[in-house]
Amino acid sequence: MDEREDSLFEFAEFDEKESEHIAAPRYSYWKSVWRTFFKSKVTVILSLFLIVLIVFALVQPTYSGYDPTVAPNINTPEMKYLPPSAEHLFGTDNIGNEVWDVVWAGARNSIIVSFISTAIIMVVGILVGALWGFSKKMDRWMIEVYNVVSNVPYLLLAMILSYVLGAGLGSLIFVMTCIDWIYVAYFIRTQVMIIRDREYNMASKCLGTKTFTMIVKNILPYLVSVIVTYISREIPGLISYEVFLSYMGLGLGTNYASLGRTISQYKSFMTGYPHLFWIPVLVLAAIAISLYVVGQKLADATDPRTHR
Amino acid sequence: MSDIIISAKDIEVQFRVRENYLTAIRNVSLDLYQGETFAIVGESGSGKSVFTKTFTGMLESNGKITNGSIMYHGQDLTKFKTEKEWAAIRGVKIATVFQDPMTSLNPIRTIGSQITEVIEKHQKLSKVDAKAQAISMMERVGIPNAAERFDNYPFQYSGGMRQRIVIAIALSCHPEVLICDEPTTALDVTIQAQIIKLIKDLQKELGFTTIYITHDLGVVANVADRVGVMYGGQIIEYGTVNEIFYDPQHPYTWALLSALPQLGVKGEDLYYITGTPPSLYNKIKGDAFAPRNPRALKIDFEKEPPFFKVSDTHYAKTWLLDPRAPKVEKPEAIHNLHEKIARMTSKGGAFHVGNE
Amino acid sequence: MSETNEREVLLSVKDVDISFGEGKNVFKAVQDANFDIYKGETFALVGESGSGKTTIGRAILRINELSKGEITFEGKRISGKLSKAEDREVIRNIQMIFQDPAASLNERATIEYCISEGLYNFHLYKDENDRLQKVDKALEEVGLLPEHKSRYPHEFSGGQRQRVGIARALIMEPKLVVADEPISALDVSIRAQVLNLMNKLKNEKSLTYLFIAHDLSVVRFIADRIAVIHLGRIVEIAETEELFAHPMHPYTISLLSAVPMPDPIIEKQREAIVYADATEEKTGPDYAMREITPGHFVYCTPQQVAGYAKIAE
Repeated sequence: MDEREDSLFEFAEFDEKESEHIAAPRYSYWKSVWRTFFKSKVTVILSLFLIVLIVFALVQPTYSGYDPTVAPNINTPEMKYLPPSAEHLFGTDNIGNEVWDVVWAGARNSIIVSFISTAIIMVVGILVGALWGFSKKMDRWMIEVYNVVSNVPYLLLAMILSYVLGAGLGSLIFVMTCIDWIYVAYFIRTQVMIIRDREYNMASKCLGTKTFTMIVKNILPYLVSVIVTYISREIPGLISYEVFLSYMGLGLGTNYASLGRTISQYKSFMTGYPHLFWIPVLVLAAIAISLYVVGQKLADATDPRTHR
Repeated sequence: MSDIIISAKDIEVQFRVRENYLTAIRNVSLDLYQGETFAIVGESGSGKSVFTKTFTGMLESNGKITNGSIMYHGQDLTKFKTEKEWAAIRGVKIATVFQDPMTSLNPIRTIGSQITEVIEKHQKLSKVDAKAQAISMMERVGIPNAAERFDNYPFQYSGGMRQRIVIAIALSCHPEVLICDEPTTALDVTIQAQIIKLIKDLQKELGFTTIYITHDLGVVANVADRVGVMYGGQIIEYGTVNEIFYDPQHPYTWALLSALPQLGVKGEDLYYITGTPPSLYNKIKGDAFAPRNPRALKIDFEKEPPFFKVSDTHYAKTWLLDPRAPKVEKPEAIHNLHEKIARMTSKGGAFHVGNE
Repeated sequence: MSETNEREVLLSVKDVDISFGEGKNVFKAVQDANFDIYKGETFALVGESGSGKTTIGRAILRINELSKGEITFEGKRISGKLSKAEDREVIRNIQMIFQDPAASLNERATIEYCISEGLYNFHLYKDENDRLQKVDKALEEVGLLPEHKSRYPHEFSGGQRQRVGIARALIMEPKLVVADEPISALDVSIRAQVLNLMNKLKNEKSLTYLFIAHDLSVVRFIADRIAVIHLGRIVEIAETEELFAHPMHPYTISLLSAVPMPDPIIEKQREAIVYADATEEKTGPDYAMREITPGHFVYCTPQQVAGYAKIAE
């Protein structure tokens, strides 16, 4: 018989603590999130595209110096209605402005407005919603507040507010946030109620943990994924909404660049100079869709069930 | 011994979980004899449920039999592909009773309609005859006032009663083999005793073969003719029930038996096993139990042990049975097991009940 | 048994009713529960699902409200309305070990946070160093390693997680620990280890346990006294050896006869005794807890006492 094998018939060393070691590499939630997120090449390419798009939209207007209140080429007919070319990337419009500059300046304002509005909506909504979900007393009157606020005719309110507050960035942000936060709060409240009575929260209660600490440590970490999902829908939604309001003449005033107003102005050239209409629409779509897709991918990655 | 009814050979089952393959069953063979009760004991993750699911083609969609054969009346069940092929076997020839009766019952249909449906489908009886047979089946599994309770919904039944209904449905086609997958784990102990007795009585009457899956060795002692102990996706020891309890050979079987609180002596520590069952994602080298076995041999970490024969009916997969191995005694707690338990259950013992 | 009177009562449950729901849908989960837990003992509450055993355990921890009666701890009432300071006092003194370690640990918190949670809430440490030392010590006591601090609950096995649950309860240095079926969610091979650990820690820290279980075989190993509860009513209380030697109430006998024994020859002959009235309570105005022999109480009528006393002979 195999002599080496024979020598193996003796007791191996045994360490009781040995079996307690965890061999698997250390787990970190956020590291796993990024690993899952960057695993897909499509996601990485799309994210890079999105970042370039946003950074460009934020930076380009400062270099171009585009100002919607002046039209330097308005009296130069040969500068009007030029088709896209190497010299004029997106062509020029009816008053001789570079569409390239007009579109990016509008995109910048859309992005700024939607990001700030989303931040406000989410912060207020999550704070209110978390407390709302925990407190039975608060639930009773918050439901009434919800019923009232969510039934306000949105467009009507937007019209009134834009007339009352004027047509600035600040007032537009106020118009966009003053109702939406309650939907977030209601959504978070429902989520909190679902996990509030789980056993680990009861355990925390038995250890004397206060409600606020429970929200921060026990509840919100479980909601990262649903919150990211919400944000990934909210930002592109608000970009489109800004465009919509401006298109309707309820958004930013004429002294601000705006994608919505640009589209509104260019729509009459749809047959004669289709590039004027389609270029801003396509830029809007590119921003909104890539924001949405990247957001959804990030939301998937923040769901620990996808981690491995 | 009587005829072999099912013969599983070298079964390997793999699950695809995202990018990884998990080998849940590693080359398990089993001959099941007509009319016997074969109990499979093991912890969660040992593969005991997965193994028997291959007999009815009920593996989850990401699971696959990657090797081996299951011969049943001349057919190889591992070759079955379509639901149509399974329809003649599953629930008809080989039926299963699961742990949670609610997963087998439809909560929004009456108990009666769920039993008659199966009877009508497989026995081609008229509605009236099917109902009569359903009621007699309900009486048979011990439902009081069966005719009145025929039109009740599952939620109107207690957990034990629901499990009786699941058994009635499983047996309504007179299957040859009944797989009981932890049928009493979700039930209270007193109900458990009744359900076990019911299954045994029905088996005597109807003569089916039973595979009984459980993690509870006390239950095994009650129901089994033969026992297979599973660990890490393999059967590591099998034999008649008396051989497994009174003359166990594998250190894992020793540990399972010794750790039972029934055998505990107050004020002394119970025998216990450290660590946890192996992860089936990793390739297991040698004896899967070795890392938790304080008396493991060096070879246990190197080479997988073969089955050593203990008797004609008793085999164990441990290097301790190799002639070259040092002698290792089984733990003190299970020495003279029968004498100990006899003392406990006779007059004056802790588990004595009744007047005499 | 004579020393029973001299022993110090730690927790006392007096005439407690607990019901859920309102109006017509009132469900009485617990009726007329009475028992004392003495300092330093392991008192077991044994019953099947729906018997109300967990409800009582949670009432002691002030999760469930009483609809009648009161619970006292060291002579002070701890049920009903309490001041904030009193409430915190109760939390420090009474801790809980949960049934399902997977459900009762915060999956998004590290083991270090899980174990420190109570320390943070009561600021039971001098400085960060002291806190970390306390966590390390707590881990060591339950057989885990300091390196586990930065791990997350899902990386652990069921038995390890349950030991984390034990560590975070005991770091509060409680006087009473309510253990609600602490081993029934665990794999058979690791149950023994957790039971041994609970016994060891009890001796080292002179703890008192209320051990809630459904399994008489486990309880026989760990408990000093046992109360058997059936459909919300305690039907028998006795010292462990006495209860097993002379089980009296038919429900206790039925429960005892249902414990499966790991011996095929004996198990195949044993007949489980069915408690005939399992669905309807044996109760009435004449029924009360009556002392049959010293320290051995059975829920019965005065007429039944003599019959039960005969069993003890």
